[in-house]
Amino acid sequence: MHTSAAEMLLEVKGVHAGYGKIVVLHGVDLTVQAGEVVALLGPNGAGKTTLLRAVSGLLPWNAGSIHFGGRDLRGAGPRETARAGLAHVVEGHRIFTQQSVVDNLLLAAYDLPREDRNARIEEALTYFPEIAAKRNAKGVALSGGQQQMLAVAQGLVRRPRLLMLDEPSAGLSPVLVDRVLAGVAKLREAGTAVLLVEQLIEKALAVADRVYALAQGRVVLEASAREAELPKRLEHAYFGQRR
Amino acid sequence: MLESILASGLAVGAIYALIGVAYNTMYSTSRVMSFTAGQLGMLGGVLGSLFVLRLGLPMLVGLAVTLLCCAIVGVITEFVAVRPVLKSLEQHLYVLSTLALALMIQQVTAIEWSTEPQPFPRIFGPSLGGMTDEKFWLPVLASAVTIVTLELLYRRTLVGRAFLAVAEDNFAARALGLPERNLRIASYALAGIIGALAGFSGGALLLAFVANGPLLNFYGFVPVALGGLGNNRGAIVGGLALGIFQQAANFLVGGIFSSVAVFALFIVVLLAVPQGLFGTTTARRV
Amino acid sequence: MGRARIAAGEDVPEREEHAGAPWSHVLPLVAVFALATCVPFVSNDYWVLIATRAAIYWVLVAGLNLMIGFAGQLAIGYVALLTLGAYTASVLAAGNVTPPLNPFVALAAAAVLGAILGVIVGLPALRLRTFYFAISTLGFATIVTQIALAWQSVTGGGIGLPGPEFPAPLNTHWGFFYFCLGVAAFCTWMTSNVAHSRFGRALIAVRDADVAAEATGISKPRLLVTVFMFCGAAAAVAGGLFASLQTYITPEAFSFDLSVLFFIAVLIGGRGSVLGPLLGTIILTLLPEFVASLAAWSTFLYAVLLLVIVLAAPGGIAALLDFKSRRPLQSNRAIVPKPSVLDGVFTSKHPGIIALRSVVLAFGGVRAVDGVDLDVRPGEIQGLIGPNGSGKTTILNVISGYYEPEAGAVTLAGAPLPPGNPVTRAGRGIARTFQTPRIVGEATVLQNVMIGGTILGAATFAETLLALPRYRREEAMLRGAARQALRAVGLEGLAQVRADRLQHSELRFLEIARALISDPAFILLDEPAAGLAADEIVRLGQFIQEITRRGVGVLLVEHHADLIFDICHHVTVLNLGRVLASGTPAEIRVHKEVVSAYLGG
Repeated sequence: MHTSAAEMLLEVKGVHAGYGKIVVLHGVDLTVQAGEVVALLGPNGAGKTTLLRAVSGLLPWNAGSIHFGGRDLRGAGPRETARAGLAHVVEGHRIFTQQSVVDNLLLAAYDLPREDRNARIEEALTYFPEIAAKRNAKGVALSGGQQQMLAVAQGLVRRPRLLMLDEPSAGLSPVLVDRVLAGVAKLREAGTAVLLVEQLIEKALAVADRVYALAQGRVVLEASAREAELPKRLEHAYFGQRR
Repeated sequence: MLESILASGLAVGAIYALIGVAYNTMYSTSRVMSFTAGQLGMLGGVLGSLFVLRLGLPMLVGLAVTLLCCAIVGVITEFVAVRPVLKSLEQHLYVLSTLALALMIQQVTAIEWSTEPQPFPRIFGPSLGGMTDEKFWLPVLASAVTIVTLELLYRRTLVGRAFLAVAEDNFAARALGLPERNLRIASYALAGIIGALAGFSGGALLLAFVANGPLLNFYGFVPVALGGLGNNRGAIVGGLALGIFQQAANFLVGGIFSSVAVFALFIVVLLAVPQGLFGTTTARRV
Repeated sequence: MGRARIAAGEDVPEREEHAGAPWSHVLPLVAVFALATCVPFVSNDYWVLIATRAAIYWVLVAGLNLMIGFAGQLAIGYVALLTLGAYTASVLAAGNVTPPLNPFVALAAAAVLGAILGVIVGLPALRLRTFYFAISTLGFATIVTQIALAWQSVTGGGIGLPGPEFPAPLNTHWGFFYFCLGVAAFCTWMTSNVAHSRFGRALIAVRDADVAAEATGISKPRLLVTVFMFCGAAAAVAGGLFASLQTYITPEAFSFDLSVLFFIAVLIGGRGSVLGPLLGTIILTLLPEFVASLAAWSTFLYAVLLLVIVLAAPGGIAALLDFKSRRPLQSNRAIVPKPSVLDGVFTSKHPGIIALRSVVLAFGGVRAVDGVDLDVRPGEIQGLIGPNGSGKTTILNVISGYYEPEAGAVTLAGAPLPPGNPVTRAGRGIARTFQTPRIVGEATVLQNVMIGGTILGAATFAETLLALPRYRREEAMLRGAARQALRAVGLEGLAQVRADRLQHSELRFLEIARALISDPAFILLDEPAAGLAADEIVRLGQFIQEITRRGVGVLLVEHHADLIFDICHHVTVLNLGRVLASGTPAEIRVHKEVVSAYLGG
């Protein structure tokens, strides 16, 4: 199979999606290349979470197209997208509090062949030694930050080609946020692509290659993370064009 | 007298407890309280009598076929009465769809089988009378076996853990890629087996009687109401307590008013503690 | 209050402006009963008996319809009330306990007892969830039958006793048929009046949008208890008539199958309708007669019918007959508010200020609101903004009474607003909209707006049942006020359309109209711009400004920075439950901390 120089891993074109009658996304275009970290920013209600849910199949979408690794994702549910190599860590570090760390990771490995499960779990835990030390503790005994690390680890168990993180910093202290985002940096080195939705702009820009800004269901900005005028451009994007 | 109340109370309470567990099993993966739980119990007794007494199958084979049939009924429930209404936001629809299905099951049984109670086969030979008769310890044994098996399932197997995951946080389970629909179907089949076991083990006590359906629907739900929705341990405790309470009331005030007593208890507890004695409160409304 | 609004430049009322049931609803009912009167002439005694039975069942179902179809309470075991009524009437007429009473008096006594038991059976509905309540009614049914069996001295136990006998000419088949038909017609008329009254609308509001119902001042317990009394009385009267029809009753006659018939008749007929359940009752009563060979399977057929309805046509017969709601709507509809109409909506008042001082509220261990001061002044728009989780909606919910703060004071004109009691707000002149529109999808746009004016009426339930003048007057006034509110927001063309056919933006304006109709002193808006197009947001902003120009105080919780900065007189910024900044829009816009709070970091 021929691949172009910049291999397009995720390609979202003109996607519309919403909840019932409320249309949230009004035609969104977005790409993620293999091995790059893309930050998705924007004010609340812009549709960032909606977009991630549409891509992973949690939310039905209409109009437009979504391709992952060349494959058309129309009609695919979360199980199929996970099998294709797309991991979605939802917002709110929703792990299973009544089960242990290891069990949480085992569940993430549900679709893997039995013999691979333990190895992959250990691999995921290497990113977060702090929770590796608490492998038999129940989810409810972990702190918020540790639960977030566990949630990300769940996403890593299947060695995804693209990991989508929805606001991993929410409710976490700055120190813990840094730890979680350090994991993201490690992933980039290992060749995993990351689509990172974040509220903390500076921290997201520090770890990202490219950035999109979403407002009111549309992409209002696309740029390299290193661009000089970026903070000002973002402020405009958030607060509207009229000043 | 006390031993009699205790023996019969524990026995009938164990049957109620198992039906409660069947309710919980269906609820945990679908958030639906299904009217078919009592019917599954009824079918356990009726099909057991059909296969073993009428058709002459060996006891174990009859049990296996009964469990299988009820598992199928459970799966049919998921397909016909649960899946189609889950998409809708209207809470009341699943009450109606499962009620309709339960009525259909009951009517077919009443017409094809009999409206009168029919005998249930003895498993271990003729009755010796007294408190050690099989009709008293069979249901208790069945509940113990069920609880132990469920614990093993939930704690030791990946499928069981997946059940727990779907029960705790349906959305997170979906997002993780767990096969939510398959798990739901499996849990309805499992509920069918549990209900059938309740009816089969309690066959000697309750007989193969079509009216057991609505009876078990109500008495099997009281442990759930008392113990909290989705709480199996609460259902067991609630069921056994209910059984003993009912038999004691039977003895003290007679059969007819014992049902009044049970019902009064049910209403009083629910009005005082709507989420059950061991249950958790529901989420914010606004 | 309402009279001033009607006088201010009102249009001539339309043909449909009819206090109580519009003709389109009344005509089919009249037709059914007109046809029914012909039955004895075209058939034999057997069919007259069947028709009598259908009429008696309908007396019960007409009341039960209000409980299941309108209030949404799934009372499956209602045969208990039929049993009670039958035995009460029979016992009193036979003289087992008291000297034999006149059968009409016995019937009346049964009605009174039925009302009481109806309340008892229904009370759990106020606390229990749907399924639990359904099961509890089954329990009641069992108990009543058990009592009938056990209380041999009075009820004759398993042997039973004779039903009441009515004097001539009612003791003939024809005479009794017309008597029952008359009672049924009377019940139909009464329930139809309730259906098209503020009680009927309040019931469906409680059923489908109970949170919004509270905000409009509808008190669920009082409403439901009233309905339970009526249902119980109707069912008991039906029981007395049933006993007379059977001429001899035993507990076996009151089977679970009968309960199922009543219940399914309402649901096959469709919720929120009177005609639907009437047709449903007739169909279910007649069905076993036409398929005589399948008589044993009749309950099975009812269950199949119920399942089919639930899966394929949840709206029942009523929805199938509702041709009006299938007429296509114009597709490119624009919402064009007419603020000038607002002149007739608001009367002048001096309500004082809504003041929050040091309000604290925690969920679990997290302080959602951590010591907030806020004012909402008449004639001004107070904006409330902040990132997700900052506590804005929580504050709105505290003011409107859904949450009870742990500390601090919430007052209006110095007097405290009762915490944790949202039903009191409407009476104090505070109306609100919701983050996701909470409307009754199955009702028309006009009916949804009229729900907002429920507390404006004073006509009692009894006056409504009998369509007395005060009820008619108030209905006409409320309808006029609703049309005015719809004209103001620009939705009058959609007045008769089912609300669930509206677009999202139209639903937002519908909620605003519902808030307007009660002539409030304050309106709390919860993210009204979410999901609106840019031009709609502009019109919304202008409209809100026009509202405040008439003296109303507005609290605007929003994400859209543009809207906030454009129209608010005062802006408060929240972050993590605390006030970050407070001032005019110009001050807030350049406030360093606000900008960084929004952009994170």
